[in-house]
Amino acid sequence: MLRIDAHPTHKYMGFDIRMGKPLPFGATLVPGGVNFSVYSSHARSCELVLFKKHEPRPYATIPFPDQFRIGNVFTMVVFDLDYENIEYGFRMEGPFDPREGHRFDGTKILMDPYAKSIGGRDVWGTDPDWSNPYPHRARVLLDDFDWEEDHPLEIPIEDLIIYELHVRGFTRHPSSAIRHPGTFAGIREKIPYLRELGINCVELMPIHEFDEFENSRISPTTGRRLMNYWGYSNVGFFAPKAGFAATGKFGMQADELKNLIKELHKNGIEIILDVVFNHTAEGNEQGPTISYRGIDNKTYYMLTPDGGYYNFTGCGNTLNCNNPIVRNMILDCLRYWAADYHVDGFRFDLASILGRDQNGAPMHSPPLLETLAFDPILGKCKLIAEAWDAGGLYQVGSFPSWGRWAEWNGKFRDDVRRFLKGDPGLAGAMAQRLQGSPDLYQWQKRGTRASINFVTAHDGFTMMDLVSYNEKHNEANGENNTDGANDNNSWNCGGEGPSADPEVNRLRLKQIKNAVTMLLVSQGTPMILAGDEMGRTQGGNNNAYCQDNETSWLDWRLLGENAELHAYVKGIIRFRRAHPALRSCHHFTSNVAPNGYPDISWHGTGAWACDWSSESRTLAFLLNGENVKGGTANDTFIYVAMNMHWEMHGFELPQLPQGLSWHVAANTDMPAPEDIFESGAEKRIGNPSEFLVGPRSIVVLVGR
Amino acid sequence: MDITKTVRDGVSVIAISGSLDSTTAPRAQDEVLPLIASGCCLVLDLSQCEYVSSAGLRVLLMIAKQLAAKNGRWAISGLSAEIKDVMEMTGFAAFFATFGTVAEALAAVKTACP
Repeated sequence: MLRIDAHPTHKYMGFDIRMGKPLPFGATLVPGGVNFSVYSSHARSCELVLFKKHEPRPYATIPFPDQFRIGNVFTMVVFDLDYENIEYGFRMEGPFDPREGHRFDGTKILMDPYAKSIGGRDVWGTDPDWSNPYPHRARVLLDDFDWEEDHPLEIPIEDLIIYELHVRGFTRHPSSAIRHPGTFAGIREKIPYLRELGINCVELMPIHEFDEFENSRISPTTGRRLMNYWGYSNVGFFAPKAGFAATGKFGMQADELKNLIKELHKNGIEIILDVVFNHTAEGNEQGPTISYRGIDNKTYYMLTPDGGYYNFTGCGNTLNCNNPIVRNMILDCLRYWAADYHVDGFRFDLASILGRDQNGAPMHSPPLLETLAFDPILGKCKLIAEAWDAGGLYQVGSFPSWGRWAEWNGKFRDDVRRFLKGDPGLAGAMAQRLQGSPDLYQWQKRGTRASINFVTAHDGFTMMDLVSYNEKHNEANGENNTDGANDNNSWNCGGEGPSADPEVNRLRLKQIKNAVTMLLVSQGTPMILAGDEMGRTQGGNNNAYCQDNETSWLDWRLLGENAELHAYVKGIIRFRRAHPALRSCHHFTSNVAPNGYPDISWHGTGAWACDWSSESRTLAFLLNGENVKGGTANDTFIYVAMNMHWEMHGFELPQLPQGLSWHVAANTDMPAPEDIFESGAEKRIGNPSEFLVGPRSIVVLVGR
Repeated sequence: MDITKTVRDGVSVIAISGSLDSTTAPRAQDEVLPLIASGCCLVLDLSQCEYVSSAGLRVLLMIAKQLAAKNGRWAISGLSAEIKDVMEMTGFAAFFATFGTVAEALAAVKTACP
């Protein structure tokens, strides 16, 4: 069908152009040309600047004629462009009046905020040309992709086992023995490993285009180059990082990422993206002007009354998330990843920023969060909030959720770590955490779905370091060890750092097994940090955001060195997946099932009696196997005894119904292969009156 | 980019040399179109092709789909290891039957074509 509004109407310096369409924003291929659309509330005029790929100077500048505008949107179709081989930018004229919030600069070439492909950091770590007038360059993306039958998996969140990984760090180490280390294609090569481990969801640390050279400096202690390695700093919200793609040098990062997602889905694995809407890479007024500052500073940033940048993120600026225009951009962005990349969910970094108004004040009912909770395209996406920020807001348990948002449960992490290292008096808190934290989430009536449980994440110690260090050791970051959290609730098991003492190492291994067990038998959704299953260590660095080296890179040789740990983690994951009683979406009530047992009951060294005192270091619970998961399934009885005391204790076992007997599924006090058993092959022990649980040990029994 | 057409054992062999990208891919598509229309068998010899861009990959995929719609059979031969690898990583390889030499490609195509 030939449209009557698809042909050129004007000519400018040999270019055929016409008025474009405002939607979609950004650069879109249309018959015969490219439709460019960019908005600014305060710009007076705009020019399109065109480069041949990689060339330092533009080859053309085409002003948007004044009539090529709808409202505040500049839109134009330019015909016969070699769309695969160009890069484009904008120059905008407008007021320069920082006190009023305006920082227009007609000499700067600005990147399209809606750029779907960005050049300039095509290969990770390649030294840029620092004299480049336009370092991060928007490109036109061929966004068609044959997904065939692929669609988001919509696995219920309570059935997810999330694995948090850094794209580069996961396979960059030579020991990964793959063809394309440190890339999306590299993750694809490791899919068999992920399947075997048993996880069904990968949470990728930021994959949007960011500048690895941001704040790059030489470490005064190690002499090595420190990079922006984690990537919590956006250059572009709509473009995948070229430097994370083996085909990045050809500009094919979008296809490579889409193909990874397609393969992961084929293997039953969901993808959650870590998104960073709280600040941009432009920093404060001293930082570079990449895009937003020159396009519409007053709109995009939270500004102080005299035009300075609010810094609730600790990173120089704060994105003005509840400004209606920015709100729409964030919605457009998430809709784009959900629809075009088939992403299954999002984890929002420093999400409390998203609940602050344009002056930084916390809102009771933030429009942005409400919009995202109810958006139809995002309707089945997981929405996970890191429910705090760097400006003093801590909203774990109180994040405005509309029944849709889940939270990183920081209280779970803290309580489990303290219980693990033997702090007394935590039985009450642990009872809440093991049940999916009703004390935090019952008022939202979201059941266990609000709680993302974790003991470790990219922030803080790895699991191995959590049991090997009392103190952080971040000297290599070059900040005099002042960076990184101090309240780690870690315990080194008898010596700081690597130990030659076999008893210390045995205890460390057991403690990791304990932590992972508590994580995997808790109601709510568990998240595991990549590499914890093989004892990855960062040498005690608990804030390795700038370490693009062996400190952060997963060393795959650890699979051999820590085979027992790996087998245990695999086994306990398998245990969770086999037992629906562990994956209820509702919080337990005082309901008693037809078989006479309550859904959950609490025990200690005595059956049906728990030590809730301030000296307690023991706790046990019994899950009734009848009518679990809201009455949709049946399971075995599950009994978990946790002895965090340094002495062995006998735990009196609650009586099972007639005909059932106890079997050991896991016992962290035993060395392999008696530490964990396959489903159906648990070690039958009959109906003893008590079970001797070793010091600092956890025992999991099934009753069938 | 140069395109050479020959017929071997009753099968059209189209050899592309140079670069298959947004500027050259439309021409390649035009050359292949009449062959697709008749639903016949085809071997695409890319042994002299140095580079296949995103646009080039998409033209190849369109050829694959159009031929499939006509129950035609085709194969690609002579892909360099690098281009093959790129196709693997971007997911396009799954849509193509690829062989090392024209002879192998011909053999595969002929077993399906009358």
